[in-house]
Amino acid sequence: MKAETANMNLWHQAARTTTLVGAVFSGIFTGLLVWNLVGSALIGPTRENDLAALKVQVQKEPGNQELLVQIRQLDLQIRRDRIWRWDFAREAASMLLGSAVVLVVAGTFAGGLAKKPPRPQPVAERGELQMREARQARWSVVGGIAVLAVGMGLLTLTRWVSFVQGGNGDGGTPYASLEARQAQWPRFRGLAGAGVSTHANTPTSWNGKTGAGILWKTPVAVPGHNSPVVWEDRIFFSGADPNLRQVLCFDGKSGQLLWTGDVPTGPLPAGEEFELMEDTGYAAPTVATDGRRVYAIFPTGDVAGFDFTGKRLWHKNLGRPDSSYGYASSLETYQNLVLIDYDQSDGKDGKSRFLALDGTSGKVAWEAKRALPSTWTTPIVADVAGKPQLITVADPNVVAYDPANGKELWRAECVGGDLAPSPIYAGGLVLAIQPYSQMVAIKPTGQGDVTKTHIAWKAEDGIPDICSPVSNGTYVYLLDSEGLLTCYQVADGKKVYEHELKDQFRASPSIAGDKLYLLSLKGVMHIAQVGPEYKELGRCELGEDCFASPAFVDGRIYIRGAKNLYCIGGTSVGSTPDTK
Amino acid sequence: MTRIACTAMFTLALAVPCLGAGSEMRFPPPEFESGYQFPETARPPTARPVVHEYIDVALLAVVLLLASYLILQRRSRRAIFALMIAALLYFGFWRDGCICPIGAIQNVTLTAFDSTYAIPLAAAAFFVIPLAFTLFHGRIFCGAACPLGAIQDVVLIHPLRVPHWLESGLRLLAYTYLGAGVLFAAIGGTFLICRYDPFVGFFRMTGNWNILILGASLLAIGLFVGRPYCRFLCPYGVILRNLSRLSKRRVTITPTECITCRLCEDACPFGAIRTPTEDWPEGEYQIAKRRLAFFLVLLPILIAAGGWGGYALKERLARMHPRVRTAERVFLEETGQVTGTTNASDAFRTTGQASAMLYQDATAIRSRFALGGALLGGFVGLVAGGKLIALSVRRRRAEYEADPADCLACGRCYQYCPKEQERRKQRRDARSGRGNR
Ligand code: SF4
Repeated sequence: MKAETANMNLWHQAARTTTLVGAVFSGIFTGLLVWNLVGSALIGPTRENDLAALKVQVQKEPGNQELLVQIRQLDLQIRRDRIWRWDFAREAASMLLGSAVVLVVAGTFAGGLAKKPPRPQPVAERGELQMREARQARWSVVGGIAVLAVGMGLLTLTRWVSFVQGGNGDGGTPYASLEARQAQWPRFRGLAGAGVSTHANTPTSWNGKTGAGILWKTPVAVPGHNSPVVWEDRIFFSGADPNLRQVLCFDGKSGQLLWTGDVPTGPLPAGEEFELMEDTGYAAPTVATDGRRVYAIFPTGDVAGFDFTGKRLWHKNLGRPDSSYGYASSLETYQNLVLIDYDQSDGKDGKSRFLALDGTSGKVAWEAKRALPSTWTTPIVADVAGKPQLITVADPNVVAYDPANGKELWRAECVGGDLAPSPIYAGGLVLAIQPYSQMVAIKPTGQGDVTKTHIAWKAEDGIPDICSPVSNGTYVYLLDSEGLLTCYQVADGKKVYEHELKDQFRASPSIAGDKLYLLSLKGVMHIAQVGPEYKELGRCELGEDCFASPAFVDGRIYIRGAKNLYCIGGTSVGSTPDTK
Repeated sequence: MTRIACTAMFTLALAVPCLGAGSEMRFPPPEFESGYQFPETARPPTARPVVHEYIDVALLAVVLLLASYLILQRRSRRAIFALMIAALLYFGFWRDGCICPIGAIQNVTLTAFDSTYAIPLAAAAFFVIPLAFTLFHGRIFCGAACPLGAIQDVVLIHPLRVPHWLESGLRLLAYTYLGAGVLFAAIGGTFLICRYDPFVGFFRMTGNWNILILGASLLAIGLFVGRPYCRFLCPYGVILRNLSRLSKRRVTITPTECITCRLCEDACPFGAIRTPTEDWPEGEYQIAKRRLAFFLVLLPILIAAGGWGGYALKERLARMHPRVRTAERVFLEETGQVTGTTNASDAFRTTGQASAMLYQDATAIRSRFALGGALLGGFVGLVAGGKLIALSVRRRRAEYEADPADCLACGRCYQYCPKEQERRKQRRDARSGRGNR
C-alpha cells in the first residue's frame, strides 16, 4: 500500500513537472509569436514606406543606377524578411501546439492524481449567503448595463460618413464646388476657359536668366504643348510621344515631380503609322480636374481618370479620331462629368459626337451625336444666369447643351473653316471666333436655331487664328499669332484699340486682376493694363519657348516652357476658399 | 533521478509527435525528382456531395441520441467524454467546424428576412435537432456534440470557481452577441457569429491571426475557467439554456434522492450546481417586494433606453454591412477626403454602377439599421431588466440540483454523489452476480 502511494506520488510529481515544462514552453513560443507579430507590424510598414519613397525618387531620377540598386536590395530584404517571418510563425505555432498538448495532457493527468475527496465545511448562515450572492449578482448586472452603455457611448464617438453632399461636417462632395474651382485653375485657361484669374496678387516681374522672381524651375522630360492645370498645391499636365502617354503631377511648393501616370493605348492597325503634325504634337489637349480627380485625353483617342495620388481609376479608348492637324480639343468638366468634344473628319461618317463620361468610372453618362467636322476648339461650361450651358464650336455651328444630360438648348450657324480659338462667355454674351474672319457675339438666351434672332454683333478686325480671346466683361482682347492685339467693347462690339506687339504668340492671353498677360512664343510675358488703351506695365523674359497658356493661382504663375515648368511668384500657395 | 526520468519519458512521449509538425519546414522534401505534378491552382474546389450533409445530420441525431442515453441512463462521464472527443474530431477537425448549430442561427434568421435565400436543409436540421433534444433532455448538445464546447472541455485542467455575481454580469454578453448576430444576419449582410468563431481556425489549422489569437486566449482562459465561450458568449447557448428550463427529463446529480450530503457542492466546473435554499430573515421580504416593484417599473425604461441607444447607433452598426463600408470608402475617395483606393472601391468601380446608386443603397441599409438597432437595444434592455427581476425573486429548493439553464450535461458531478456510487455498486454486484451464476 505504501509502495503504491509512493508510486502515485512519483507519477503525480512527474506529471506536475511536465505540466510546468509544457507551460514554460507554451509561454516561450507564445512570446516568440508575439515578438514575430510585433516585429512585422513595426518594421514591415517602415521598410515598405522607404521603398515607396525610393520608387518615387527614381521616377525623378530615372538614370540613377545607385538608387535602382538600393531599391532592388530593399525589395529583396522585405521579401526575405516576410518569408522568414512566415516560416518562423508556422514553426513557432507548431511548437506552441505541441507544448500546449503536453501542458493539457500532463495537467489533466496531474489534476486527476491530485484530486482529493470533497470535505464540505459547515456553512453558518446559508440564507444570508444566498441573499448576499443575489445582491452582488444584481450589482453585477447593473455593472454590465453600465459597461454596455459606455461601449455604446464610445461607439457613437466613432466616425461615420454622411452621403449628403457637404453635410454633417464631413464636408465632402464628389466634385469641387464652383467657388473652389474659381480659386483654382481647373482646366485649359482656368474656370470656364475664360483665361481670367480671380486673384489680383499676380507677379509682374521675373527674369528667366537671373532666376529673379522665379520660385522654382523643374525640367520636364515628356513633350507636350498642353497647358498646366492647378489644384491647390498640385500642378497637372500631360506629355506624350508616339510611344508614351503620361499625366504628370508636380508639387506646387517645391516643383518636385510627385507622380506620373501612364495611359495605355491599343495597337495600331497593321501597316498604319501614327504621325501627327509637329505644331500639334502628341499631347495637345489640356487635362482637366474636378478637384477630386484629374482627366486626360490624347490624340490616340485614349482618355483616363487618375486620383490625386496618381492611381489610374479608369481608362477608355474612344477610337482614334480622324483629325487633319491632330486632335487638340481640351477637356472640360461639369460636376462629376468629363466633357469631350469628339468631332472628327468631315462630320458625315457618324463618328462625330459629344461625350460626357462619369469621372469616377469612365462610363458614358450621355452622348450627343453631331454631324459636325473636326474642331480644335475646347468646349466651355458657362454659368448663364445661374444655369449652366455647355458651349461648343464646330464648323458651322455654335451649339449649347445642358451639360447634365446633353439636351441641346440652342444653336447658331455663324462660324466656319478650321476652328482653333475656343469660345468664351463674357458680359452676358458667348464670343466665338472664326479664324482670320470674324468674332461673333451670341445672346445665349434663345432656344432652337437662334442664328437669325440672337446674334448681338460681329467684328472682323484682328481676328486670331490660334489664340482664344479674353475679357474682363467690359473689354474683349484678341491676340493673333503674329502679335496684333485688338480690343473691343463687349457690349456692342465696337473696336477700342489695336496694338502691334511685334512678337509671335501661341499661348492665349489672360487677365489677372486689372492686368493683361500675353506670353509670347519666345517666352516673353507682355504685361499691360486692362482698359480702353494699351498701356504696357512690363515685359518679363523667361528665356525659353512657350506654346502653352500659363496658369494663374493666388500669387503665382505656372508656365510650361518647351523644356521646363516654372513657378513664378511668392512662397505661399495660399488659401483655398473651399476644399469641399 | 527516477522522477527526472519519469518526467523526461512523459514529456518525450507527448511532445515528439507534436514537434514533428514543425520539422516539415526545416527539412522540406525534395520535389524535383519525385515526378510530382503540381495541381492547377486555378481550379475551383469541388463542391461536397449533398449526401455528406445528410450523413452529418444523421450523425448529429445519432450523437444526441447516444448522449441522451449515456448521460441520463448510463450516467457515465467517461462515455460522454469519449463521445465528446469523437464529435470534436468529426464535427470539428474533420468537418472543419462547419456546419454547426451556432452559425445556423444566422441561416435561419436570413431565411426569415430574405425571401430570396433558401436555407440549406442541413443548416435547418442542425439548428432544429439540438433544440428538440434540449426541450426533452436539457443541454446534451453542449455536453457531447458541440465541437466548440469540446475543445474547451479538453483543455480544462484546473477549474477555478467563477463567482456567481460575475457570471450573472458576463452572461449579458452572450445575449447581446445573440441579438447582434441575428440583426446582422437579418440586415447586415454578414454572418457575425461565423466571422468571429474563435475555434474554427484551430479546426481548419489556418485562419486570420486576430481570430486565432482570440481563440488561443479563450483556450488559455479555459485552462482554469470552464468553457468560457459556452458560458459567456455562445449565442446558441442562450437559446438552449432557456429551452432547457422546459426540459422534462434532464441531468440530475443524484440518480434517486438527494440526501443533502453536500459532497457535490463544488463538483461542477461550470458553477451549475444550486444549493438548497433557506428562509430569508424576517423583514427582508418587504424590502424584496419593493425591490421587485422597482425593477418591474425599471424594465420598460431599460427597454426604451436600449432601443434609443441602438437607434442612435444605426450608422455605426450599418458599417458592418459591406455595401455601406464600400459606399463610405467610395464617397471619401470621390470627395478627396482620402487618397488612394481599396480593393473594395476598385471592385465597385469595375461594376460600372453610378456611385449615387451605391449611396442610395447604403442609406436604405442604414434606415433598416435604425429599426434593427432599436430592436437590438430594446432586446438587451429587456434581458438586463429581466435578469434584475429574476435575481430579485426568491426561489425555493429543498435539495442540491443542477441548474437546468447552466448545466452543460457533462456528467462530472455524478461520481460525487454517494447515491450514485451506491447505484454503481449495485450494478456491479448485479453484473458479478449474473457472472457467478
Ligand atoms: S452535469 Fe453536473 S458537473 Fe456537468 S455541468 Fe451539469 S451540473 Fe455541472
